[in-house]
Amino acid sequence: MSINFLEINNATFVASKKNKVLDFNLTIKNEGEIICLLGPSGIGKTTILRSIAGLQKIPKGKIFLKGKTLSSESIHIEPEKRNVALSFQDNSLFPHYTILDNINFGAKRNKIATYNFNIEELIKVLHLEGLEEKYPHQISAGEAQRVSLARSLMSKPDLLLLDEPFSNVDESLKVELQQNIKKILKEKKITTIIVTHDSYEAFYMADYCGILLSQTMKQFDTPYNIYHYPNSIEVVNFLNRGILVDAKVLDDNSVEHKCLGVIKGNFVKKYKKGTAVKLLVQPEDLEHDDKSNLKLEIIDRKFRGTNFIYTLKTKNKDLIPVFVHSHHIHQHEVEEKFGVKTPIYIDHLVCF
Amino acid sequence: MFNKRLNFWYLSSIFVSLFVAIPILTVFSSFFSSTSDYMIVLKATFLKDYVINSALILIGVLFFTFIFGVLSAYFVSFYNFWGVSFFKWALILSFAVPAYIYAYSLTAFFENYGSLFSLLTAVFGEGNYNKSIPKFDGMFGAIISMSFSLFGYVYVLTRASFYHQSNNLIEVSKNLGLSAKESFFKIILPSARPAIVAGLSLVAMECLSDFGTVSFFNVSTLTTGIYNSWLAFDDLNTANQLSFFLLIIILSLLLIENYSRGGAKYHHNSNTGFRKIPKIDLKGKKSLFAIIFCSIIFFLSFIFPLSQMIYWTVKFPKYIQDTNIIALNFNTLLLVILASSILITLAFLINFGNRISKSKILDNLSVFSISGYAIPGIILAVAFISFFSWLSDVLTNTFNFMSIKQIFIGSIFGLVAAYFIRFYSLAFNGIKSSYLKINQSIDDSSYLLGYSKFKTFRKIHFPNLRNSIYLISILITIEIIKELPITLILRPFNFETFATKAYGYASQDLLEAAALPALFLIFWSALLIFFTSKHILSEK
Repeated sequence: MSINFLEINNATFVASKKNKVLDFNLTIKNEGEIICLLGPSGIGKTTILRSIAGLQKIPKGKIFLKGKTLSSESIHIEPEKRNVALSFQDNSLFPHYTILDNINFGAKRNKIATYNFNIEELIKVLHLEGLEEKYPHQISAGEAQRVSLARSLMSKPDLLLLDEPFSNVDESLKVELQQNIKKILKEKKITTIIVTHDSYEAFYMADYCGILLSQTMKQFDTPYNIYHYPNSIEVVNFLNRGILVDAKVLDDNSVEHKCLGVIKGNFVKKYKKGTAVKLLVQPEDLEHDDKSNLKLEIIDRKFRGTNFIYTLKTKNKDLIPVFVHSHHIHQHEVEEKFGVKTPIYIDHLVCF
Repeated sequence: MFNKRLNFWYLSSIFVSLFVAIPILTVFSSFFSSTSDYMIVLKATFLKDYVINSALILIGVLFFTFIFGVLSAYFVSFYNFWGVSFFKWALILSFAVPAYIYAYSLTAFFENYGSLFSLLTAVFGEGNYNKSIPKFDGMFGAIISMSFSLFGYVYVLTRASFYHQSNNLIEVSKNLGLSAKESFFKIILPSARPAIVAGLSLVAMECLSDFGTVSFFNVSTLTTGIYNSWLAFDDLNTANQLSFFLLIIILSLLLIENYSRGGAKYHHNSNTGFRKIPKIDLKGKKSLFAIIFCSIIFFLSFIFPLSQMIYWTVKFPKYIQDTNIIALNFNTLLLVILASSILITLAFLINFGNRISKSKILDNLSVFSISGYAIPGIILAVAFISFFSWLSDVLTNTFNFMSIKQIFIGSIFGLVAAYFIRFYSLAFNGIKSSYLKINQSIDDSSYLLGYSKFKTFRKIHFPNLRNSIYLISILITIEIIKELPITLILRPFNFETFATKAYGYASQDLLEAAALPALFLIFWSALLIFFTSKHILSEK
């Protein structure tokens, strides 16, 4: 039996008296996987990273890295002996060293690493050219975050932990950086856990996502499954990419909504005929059709560049979001009627 | 759990806290011991005078320091006039002249046949000027001396408060329809009030602690009462009980100061969005008034005592040979090196322990260990003697131990130990505040990159704290050079510093001989203040 790369069993993480994460389990099977932990602020995501790094002790549970116990109720390996790098959200650069010295600070640490970095290349990839001789107080928050990331990478850790790595980075640079970093992590096979509250970031970066809600890990799955097969109402509400409407199960592949009519599709979970359920309707589930008889009132329109999101109100006052491509020939104003193509087909029917 | 907690860091923290708390514990325990005959006599006779005199001096000094401090801070903060950047730091040179040295200059200048007499004779020829020259002695002399020596506290804190006020606040108030004058009275002054109160509380603490000035002018106050109970009546218990009264007053002042300083923090929350207030150019009469006001304060607080001391040193060169000035320099240097190296090492050790153990208990414990600075030197010295006499007696009587009095009383070791108690808060808080500026995540990053706690100390903490170590050493040095009562009481026989030598000559009515040590005292202090002026003015 091969050992898992990282294993966390029944761990409790204590951020403060109020904020705890209980019975936390996480398994990273293979080296080089990227995991994203998503959750609202203050839930204890950072505490999980700090505990894995060894900066905090865990009152309960066990953490193993490559089969070796890092933390348990009785064992606590000091952070300097774990070879786990954590890149902090806030500025943690050494103020008396130049940017170059900061990046090099941990470079000598891991002499048996299977991979290596060329510092010039790393500087280029992270867009840090020209900052080498500057001091931390002379650079911006976004730049500091990238330096911190470079410093963590240079220490060639067994496990890399990133706490909101792009929170201070300009929007224009974010996408490119995410691509570059993902490429590096995958090429060098660096196992990484990223904490973020941005679901798009998580969906792009991660092989697996974990959703942390009300003191526990609610769901752990691939990004696709998290989005399309959320396993609880809390996860739906947290992701905020759709709404739940009241419906009734008609048969093995359809439900009925009072206003939208019959909706066909494949149930994720089987329900008895006649069961009252809450059906998840996501923005891409409904299609626009001017000729349709099903007309709903527009109460809001958001322009998102590539698309519009119309919010439609049904007779029983459900507010349903609908995507429309922004090159769509004509636009509809608020208070106008909006045609929805019938019959409605939703590939996977997620009900609760 | 208990064993785990009782590690090296806890033990050293507890030890230092207890050691520094010796004077306070001694004074407070004396409150419960029986009252001596002398105390009963004292209560019936002089105690009331002590209290009234202390109070009168306090009121006078607070009045003058308020006027001098706030007005000068106001001028240099908000206006541009000729010499403003010079006055800005020149006004803090007053810190280099302790009140007792000021008192010597004041007397020397105005006394019969003193410097003013010589001046008038030189200008207007022989005459009977003594009658018409005003005499600054007794209580009024003490008030004047202390006011010029202490107004710097009010000046520095008020100016810092003005300096750190953001122009945004003023612009907002103008935007909301307030005139410039209204903005000043409704925004600027009220937000400086905590700083002014903090400055005045420090002045009050120093004023009540003063021993050198009141003893020179023969004004009986609580401090001279403590000194006399100990020296003249050999009654340590009464001395401690008087100390108790005084300490209660001073500790309440300390509370006021702390409270006000808490409020003073709310000037500006961050560096972002902070803009300096542009200064207004003064012209004509207004400019002249500002220049004259600042010049007079600067002249009277620094140039006057300095030139008086230079004048006498030059006029009476025979005392230069009598005073072994090399020994005085050497003695002061010895004390400074011993005290500051022990202070900084221990303050560093305890701070480092508190930081890496992240223990709230240690943090709270260290609050107790910083009480020394609030205790007047005279009380500290007398309590120090009482405590070690008591401890020595206990050890000899119960354990047949040899007497430890010689180790602590009248020895360099004891003197340095007392300095340690007195200045520990300066060293501890100085290092602590610099430590707070190093984000905890910086330590964490260093551990995560594989560096041990000791290596983190060497590579991260020490380089970042180096500047504040220099600064703290200089501040301790200035304090030790100026320190009088502790040195006077605890020094070894015939061991002199600038302060004790000047005091010794002055109390023998040999003011002209006191000039040379006083001059050296002012010179070294002023030089060190010059080096740290940026910090003292809190522009860093």
